[in-house]
Amino acid sequence: MPREAEPSLNEKQFVAQALQENLRLDGREFDQYRPLELSFGDQYGVADVTLGRTRVLAKATAEVTVPYADRPLDGVFTIATELSPMASPSFEVNRPTETEVLLSRLLEKTVRRSGALDTESLCLVAGQKCWSVRVDVHVLAHDGNLIDASCAAVVAALRHFRKPDTSMDAGVLTVYTPAEREPVPLSWLHSPFCVTWSFFGEEGDIAVLDATWLEEQVRVGSCTVSLNKHGEICQIAKLGGTPVDAVALLQCTNVALARVKEFSDMLDAKLAEDAKRRDKGGFMAELRAENDR
Amino acid sequence: MTATAAPEAALGVLPRADGSAKYSHAGYTVTASVNGPIEAQRRDELASEAHVDVIVRPAAGVGGTRERHLEVILQSSLSQIILVKNFPRSLIQIVLQVEDSPENDYVNTKIVQASLNFAVMPALMQTAVLALLSAGVPMKATATATAVAIARVDGAKKITVDPSPRDIETAQSVHVLAFTSHDELLLAESEGDFTIGEWDEVYETAKGICCRPAAAAKEGMAMVLDDDDAGGTDMRQFLRSTMESKVAADLHWK
Repeated sequence: MPREAEPSLNEKQFVAQALQENLRLDGREFDQYRPLELSFGDQYGVADVTLGRTRVLAKATAEVTVPYADRPLDGVFTIATELSPMASPSFEVNRPTETEVLLSRLLEKTVRRSGALDTESLCLVAGQKCWSVRVDVHVLAHDGNLIDASCAAVVAALRHFRKPDTSMDAGVLTVYTPAEREPVPLSWLHSPFCVTWSFFGEEGDIAVLDATWLEEQVRVGSCTVSLNKHGEICQIAKLGGTPVDAVALLQCTNVALARVKEFSDMLDAKLAEDAKRRDKGGFMAELRAENDR
Repeated sequence: MTATAAPEAALGVLPRADGSAKYSHAGYTVTASVNGPIEAQRRDELASEAHVDVIVRPAAGVGGTRERHLEVILQSSLSQIILVKNFPRSLIQIVLQVEDSPENDYVNTKIVQASLNFAVMPALMQTAVLALLSAGVPMKATATATAVAIARVDGAKKITVDPSPRDIETAQSVHVLAFTSHDELLLAESEGDFTIGEWDEVYETAKGICCRPAAAAKEGMAMVLDDDDAGGTDMRQFLRSTMESKVAADLHWK
């Protein structure tokens, strides 16, 4: 596959010098995101996130499988990120690039390891049957800041998702089809979001939020902070060789918290809007099969 | 989503690909990107023509043999209509991402091993053609495709155009046919039990959808409405009007 064309020296210097003069190519503030748009599909568990020209589609699905032998009480939860040549011709099928590995590691740490989804609730029969929840992340267009867009898409897809209802009766497990019983939502504990800072300049003293693809190619380092709206940090990943001042990083996490609160509110509003759209005739409350906690 | 929904398409939806299209019809939504002609890897390089690389990606789960099978069929049909001889030693890469497919509410599906339905093929074909047009890849002809299912209901034969997953489950045979804009048969794939007579009927039905002459569509509104009731959507007219509106939008400054 052809290699991605690197920006020329002139382009790089132009971006760098503009940043020194407190300007970004698209006229944004340093701590300003591109407009984030989120839409849900007709099916449950499909979320489409557009961040400027970056577009990510996440689809959550579930099926019944056998749990892992060493974790008989836990369900299976996987996030699959495979970058297709659709995002850029330099990505190849079945050959993960560094971008892809980093993306899947970060999503893993942010969503899976932070316990956002209660995997114990996915267990049906200890050691024999459990739900396997899988999220597929499809990057349709890559224009920088894949991590934040993908994380938002994964969280939105999982919160929107409904799995088939089940019942246990005298040792017999029944999985109801959508025609029999209204599917139930996952047991969701908190919604983490990623906020990525990019650092520019020789000392890494210029910090910029939501870098575009061109800016990502010029940056000297980046720092991804994952946290939820309560300010609980799930992980911090600082990548790139250039060291960054600790006080500057603290400042970054403060701004990140404000952004995450905005994302959380937006996601809640969108989910409520979607629920209203689906609730035709107001029968949803009666159709619901799950019990309130 | 109802199976009779009219097809919808948008061109140039992805900013970085050479050409792209999003197409939805009969519950299927597919996004395609086309990059090409680009440099081919040495193992794909053909000395006298362009290599057409088709990648089909299911919405959920990993692709398996069924996807590879669809890829091979699409690749050989699309190589027929793209002017591959114009671009020796290069690559035309078509990525088809299935976003949405109609679900059968009466069965719980297995997901980790994605198995794309045979009936997704017309949507894949149509999206690929739209994306190729959007990328400006030279072609001999455009193509239109449709799926037809034959079911036996109480001993009587019933032909369904654009079958839903439930139709396919009960059908005796499912056929996918594609025609070029010169009314030539480009692709004929069938699954299930059927006779030569049945296939001929399917052929005529599919031809009526894919190759309706342009004149028939223009003969007054009532006539068009009758046609729609009789033979489903007019795919060729759809392709033409999609392209026309895209070109009109692109050239509005002129």
